[in-house]
Amino acid sequence: MAEQHPSHESGGSGWQPLARSVYSLTILGVVTVITAILLYIFAGGEDLIARLIPANSSFAGDIDFVILIIAGLVGFWFFASIFAFFALLYQSRRRPGHKPEYLGKHDHQLHTWISWPHWLVIACDLIIIVVAVKVWHQVKQVAPPADTVVRVTAQQWGWTFRHPGTDNKLDTADDIVTIDRLHVPVDKVVHFELQSKDVMHDFSVPVFRLKQDAVPGRTINGWFKPTKAGAFDIQCAEMCGIGHGLMPARIFVETPEQHAAFIEDSARNASVPGGQSIY
Amino acid sequence: MASHSIAAHGHSDSHGHHDAHHEEHWFLKYCWSTDHKMIAKQYLITGLFMALIGGFFAYVFRWQLAFPNQPVPFFGVVTPASYNMMITQHGTIMIFFVAMPVLLAAFGNYLIPLMVGADDMVFPRLNRASYQVFLISSIILIWSFFVPGGGFGGAWTAYPPLSAGSQFNLTPSGSTLWVVAVAVEFVAFLMGGINFIVTAMNARAPGMKFEDVPMAVWMIVIASVMFMMSVGPLIAGSVMLIMDQNFGTHFFDPRTGGDPVLWQHLFWFFGHPEVYVVLLPALGFLAEILPVFSRKKLFGYRTLLYSSIGTACLSFFVWAHHQFISGIDPRMANVFAATTVLISIPIAEIMFVFIATLYRSSIQFTVPMLWALSFVAEFLVGGVTGIFLGASGADIHFHDTYFVLAHFHYTFFPIAIIGSFAGLTYWFPKMFGRHLNEGLGKLHFWITIISFNFIWMPLFFTGIMGDHRRIYSFTNFPDLMTPDRILLREISSVATAIMGVAQILFFANFFWSMYKGRKAEDNPYGANTLEWRCPSPPPHGNFAVMPTVYRGPYEYSHPDRESDFWPQDEPPAGQGSVQPEGAH
Amino acid sequence: MAVEGTLSRPVSARPERPEPAIPHAVFGMVLAIICEMLFFSGLVAAFIVGESANPGAWPPPGQPRFPVEVTGVNTLALLASGVLALLANRAHGAGRPSFVGLLTAAAVLGAVFLGVQGVEWQGLIREGLTLSYSTHASFFYLLVGMHAAHALVALGGLVWAVAQARKGALGKGGLVAASLFWGFVVLVWPVLYVLVYLL
Ligand code: HEA
Ligand code: HEA
Ligand code: CUA
Ligand SMILES: [Cu+2]
Repeated sequence: MAEQHPSHESGGSGWQPLARSVYSLTILGVVTVITAILLYIFAGGEDLIARLIPANSSFAGDIDFVILIIAGLVGFWFFASIFAFFALLYQSRRRPGHKPEYLGKHDHQLHTWISWPHWLVIACDLIIIVVAVKVWHQVKQVAPPADTVVRVTAQQWGWTFRHPGTDNKLDTADDIVTIDRLHVPVDKVVHFELQSKDVMHDFSVPVFRLKQDAVPGRTINGWFKPTKAGAFDIQCAEMCGIGHGLMPARIFVETPEQHAAFIEDSARNASVPGGQSIY
Repeated sequence: MASHSIAAHGHSDSHGHHDAHHEEHWFLKYCWSTDHKMIAKQYLITGLFMALIGGFFAYVFRWQLAFPNQPVPFFGVVTPASYNMMITQHGTIMIFFVAMPVLLAAFGNYLIPLMVGADDMVFPRLNRASYQVFLISSIILIWSFFVPGGGFGGAWTAYPPLSAGSQFNLTPSGSTLWVVAVAVEFVAFLMGGINFIVTAMNARAPGMKFEDVPMAVWMIVIASVMFMMSVGPLIAGSVMLIMDQNFGTHFFDPRTGGDPVLWQHLFWFFGHPEVYVVLLPALGFLAEILPVFSRKKLFGYRTLLYSSIGTACLSFFVWAHHQFISGIDPRMANVFAATTVLISIPIAEIMFVFIATLYRSSIQFTVPMLWALSFVAEFLVGGVTGIFLGASGADIHFHDTYFVLAHFHYTFFPIAIIGSFAGLTYWFPKMFGRHLNEGLGKLHFWITIISFNFIWMPLFFTGIMGDHRRIYSFTNFPDLMTPDRILLREISSVATAIMGVAQILFFANFFWSMYKGRKAEDNPYGANTLEWRCPSPPPHGNFAVMPTVYRGPYEYSHPDRESDFWPQDEPPAGQGSVQPEGAH
Repeated sequence: MAVEGTLSRPVSARPERPEPAIPHAVFGMVLAIICEMLFFSGLVAAFIVGESANPGAWPPPGQPRFPVEVTGVNTLALLASGVLALLANRAHGAGRPSFVGLLTAAAVLGAVFLGVQGVEWQGLIREGLTLSYSTHASFFYLLVGMHAAHALVALGGLVWAVAQARKGALGKGGLVAASLFWGFVVLVWPVLYVLVYLL
């Protein structure tokens, strides 16, 4: 149809070879990118995600594993589709003497194009669902017995952390209340009671792969088990007003000694009325 | 601007008069017309304008994120309040005031009557009212930026209690105006949707069976049905929210027996179908454009239709995937994770149908085709990343990080911007009777596409690395201020600026071609569907003689014809055939 | 609003479009009613959630009771007017002019229903059951109020139909659409009544 159609004259026959080179280049680019990524994945293996952001809790590895499984499965499909796509673009680019094919109502042989991938995709979906639900169950639905419990209270725009004191019980005289600084022992299962005083907030510790909304009027229980000592960011991950970006906190994962020390001198400073120290 | 085309045939009326050549007062012609084509252009121009605002906001807060707390060129210093306000309005505008009006309203209005061979919508005055209500809602939204306290800044999802109490959000009137604007807009689209469905069902040309209806029409109709089925509860929720804000009720206030999570259910029960409401029309455009420029029959008309209907049905059972960690019963997450991941099946089929259509075809890389093809490539990225989020276990880490943002910008940008560009460049000759400039169009295409990937590819990684959403400055988070993260953010922001500038090319091309472009033939591409069988631009009333439909819309390169296309309304051989323009 | 005939300017040399199975106005109105149903189901869902959110006494003790009996009678009035509207359609279908009277009667009964509702509300507010008195009260006013608003619009539709009929300018589509919307208002009410007043 082209010749009579100015819309194509305008481009002029000049751009056809150009387009061809552009597209062959695109394909080349895609191929190289893909091979690069694949190499990286296989080189990275397990800790691919952990290289981008440390995995410092007992379940961080499992969540990363889910991510990688999915990456593998959908990655395959994505690249397969993209390959087919660009290959077809090149193969059936418009060129003299190249006639498009008419597929009438009755030739179904091409429909295997759809039906096979269809079943394969379902298979992949099932794998993904199983893996995801398994890890979800382990992180959000069940919890190992607690070594210690902290109460996390969010409000516009700050965090209040209530640590059990020496007696390792909450709501006793020796509780340690701190603002924007949470102290937990390493390698111990920590349960948290999450509350909010005003609006939705979200207690999120990326290095733990931990995230949970705080809903006003409710107490939501969760758990985590830090595996590396150090200080990490706590972010608020639910829009909570002007100060949403101003609600950073730090979690201090401490060795037994450090933690004992922390409890020690907060007990000492406890002369402050209410037996609390802003640590 | 829209003026031009209609003026060409000085014929426009509301009802009754037949006099084709009596000049009408410009107000009646451009602002009070019941002509579906004029209303479509009104929607289009409004949508374009809103896109500029939304795009400008994007540029401003992107810049703030890369170069925190320094004055942004052409804007100034971004405060936390103005940042929140801008992202909220950016999201609202882009979805409700760009994607919906352009994809659904503008193209729905323009295409449905033309493609089914009707002379206009069946309820023209309702149609006009629909646009006017929409215009009012847009004005309310923009007005809300300037009221005391500023525009609403509680995110486009407007979770209460934040959105319900001005003591929390500090935008007493801004938040109310926001809800009102959105709710009013929904009413406008409900009117439009009713029109679309009834027109497509009742006003089809004689002979047009269901399988002869072009995909674009099907998709817009399915989208309208989805919208109607999902928006009611949210309107109810909006009423409750407005009452909470202004009349002292406590529907969403936990302290007095209200339930804040209730809103989330109402919102996402609409919110998720909504994303497919905008997806489907864009897919419809692809189904029109790909066959024309590959001169090949659409692969699997039925597959595409049924997959879309399947997607539509399934999308009503996935909403809680936005609430996995919002404090709902964790057991619910398992169900919704399953339904969410399963939705990949129909959409995968849709993608495969498009790819398969290219097989053994003859592709011309015209500007509309480039947009259409890029849609497939880009949307695949957005789609597959959705699966990471649908997998409840992985979403624990990804929720409300930039990974989510990258996911849905890789879906929304192809839909709202690429899809709109595809449709606009494809139907421009029909709409305005002139051709866009190909060279300029290609330049604009490549700059936009490349910069788009530079904007969002890096943000997948910052997301995995823990950047959270809606944070006006990461400087407060030591872990997030590492050089690599900062670099990624800067790449993204610079790319945004480039893309913004590149849009000048588009607007230049758009308005220049509207008046000075090369005159367009009735059927420049040799396409089959009915809109190409009437003059470009079509006069009021569209068809001189009501067409009769003899075959499906995608009969390209039929072996026993010398012409490589076969218009739907061309009588079969022997019944006095119409002269097909531009045969091969 | 959807009460608008098809636009088909009789243009010569144009084969007439096959008559649609469902008239435009009716089709449009049915769609509109579907939206409305979803709107109300949203309200009802919210109401039920709210109810389950405060277990125990619902309605909370020590709050003014709603006038169950009066409203019960009022409900019957509304249903009756619905029946009248139905009969009006029958009559119109059979070409009997009596349909105008029936339609008028339906409209009058509808007006009565709304009037009684208004009086009740005044009573409640005098007793101190204001909108913000409690979540329970809020829901009461929300559901009943939203229904009243729709009833008002639907009543407008009926009145419009009657006026048109008097002028003899009422098309079938118009009549059916108007009475469809009224029928919707009538049929939603019992649900709300049971939910809000009885349970
Ligand atoms: C039009 C826009 C659009 C589209 C099409 C989609 C499509 C999908 N979205 Fe997305 N989404 C959004 C817009 C969109 N989304 C928005 C705006 C948000 C954020 C809202 C907010 O919080 O502000 C969001 C957020 C969002 C979340 C919540 C994240 C969070 O906040 O924690 C989730 C979780 O499940 C999700 C999932 C999905 C899935 C599974 C799809 C699926 O439809 C994708 C299916 C497609 C494919 C899978 C690709 C094609 C298939 C293949 C190539 C075959 C191979 C695939 C497999 C084997 C699985 N999306
Ligand atoms: C259709 C939807 C859409 C589109 C197209 C975009 C486009 C862009 N978005 Fe947006 N975005 C959202 C929907 C969209 N966004 C939503 C829903 C949110 C969530 C809000 C919230 O959290 O509450 C969000 C949030 C969001 C954030 C997160 C803010 C935060 O959480 O802190 C960021 C940050 O970078 C961002 C950036 C961008 C950028 C750089 C673009 C660029 O791609 C934009 C470039 C565009 C232009 C420069 C102009 C556009 C084009 C034209 C003017 C021509 C128009 C032509 C036609 C329509 C035919 N967006
Ligand atoms: Cu607290 Cu966001
Ligand atoms: Cu969703």
